[in-house]
Amino acid sequence: MGGNAMQTEIEFLIDLFEQVEFFLIAGLVLILAYLALEHKDIVYAVFFFGFMASMCAGFFLLLDAPFIAGMQIAVYTGGISALMIFGVLLLPRAQDSSLEVIQSPLARKIGLRLSVVVMGISAAMALIFPWPETVPEGAPELSQSLEGLAVWLWGTHGIYVQIIALILLTSLVGAIAILKMEKAESFESIIGEFGIEADPTLDDEVEPETVDDVELDAVDAPAEVAEE
Amino acid sequence: MIPLINFLVVAFMLIGLGAYGMIVKRNLIRILIGAEIMGNGVNIALVAFALYSDVFSYTAQGLVILVISVAAAHTAVALVLMLMFNKRYGTVDLGQPVDTEE
Repeated sequence: MGGNAMQTEIEFLIDLFEQVEFFLIAGLVLILAYLALEHKDIVYAVFFFGFMASMCAGFFLLLDAPFIAGMQIAVYTGGISALMIFGVLLLPRAQDSSLEVIQSPLARKIGLRLSVVVMGISAAMALIFPWPETVPEGAPELSQSLEGLAVWLWGTHGIYVQIIALILLTSLVGAIAILKMEKAESFESIIGEFGIEADPTLDDEVEPETVDDVELDAVDAPAEVAEE
Repeated sequence: MIPLINFLVVAFMLIGLGAYGMIVKRNLIRILIGAEIMGNGVNIALVAFALYSDVFSYTAQGLVILVISVAAAHTAVALVLMLMFNKRYGTVDLGQPVDTEE
């Protein structure tokens, strides 16, 4: 009897600890998300976003999804936040908070109402959607083991990993292509019948080169005469 | 055990905050941060549904892995597009008058 009472007490304490942990993380996440959007200095805002992302990993740990928590910290805090900081550093005008356009109170009010509508619609859609009916029968039950997730992901559902790899590769190539587009256009392999020469606006840019060539020829001509 | 509704309330509040950032803000970086906050809210809702539903199983965790990867990819592309926007118009604020090349 005494053992049972003690076990119940321990369970109650664990439950209480989980509740406190949840409300602490929830408060921190919401405050950090607000600061990420509203802090005047954009560099600090990005830092707050990184902290918020790492706090969200606490939710995943509470939900018994340690792999997702690790991935959240690795990708969001380690990858996306770092990427954003580098982006801000490359955009000097973005760091100057005095240049930022502040919306009028009316526009903010309308935006706030619209965001509440978005929140309500997303909540309604998520709660109304028949989740159990969308999953085929015989799907494995959630055992929350990393081994099970690994077997599920790499064994029977390898298409997920392949799609992720394809998306990352496409975005990487796309990002490089967009950034280096101007440089790439100067390569001879791109200039041609189907390349940028088809654009009539580029003809004007070619003309000065021909003028330079003519001038160079004119400069070389007296030298040739002198040699003769 | 923490009730499902607690997780969902936080998740949808994050979605609402992200939507507020995307609607109200005019700085492209803040808009991107808003989109990421929305993505975080969606991930929390998905994993919460997975834990509290017997049949949803690993599908949700697989989906969340996919969402996180896509978030990383779209951030990279969005930042490159921001750099191009800044190069062309000299600003990253959508509300400012822009200096066009012409």
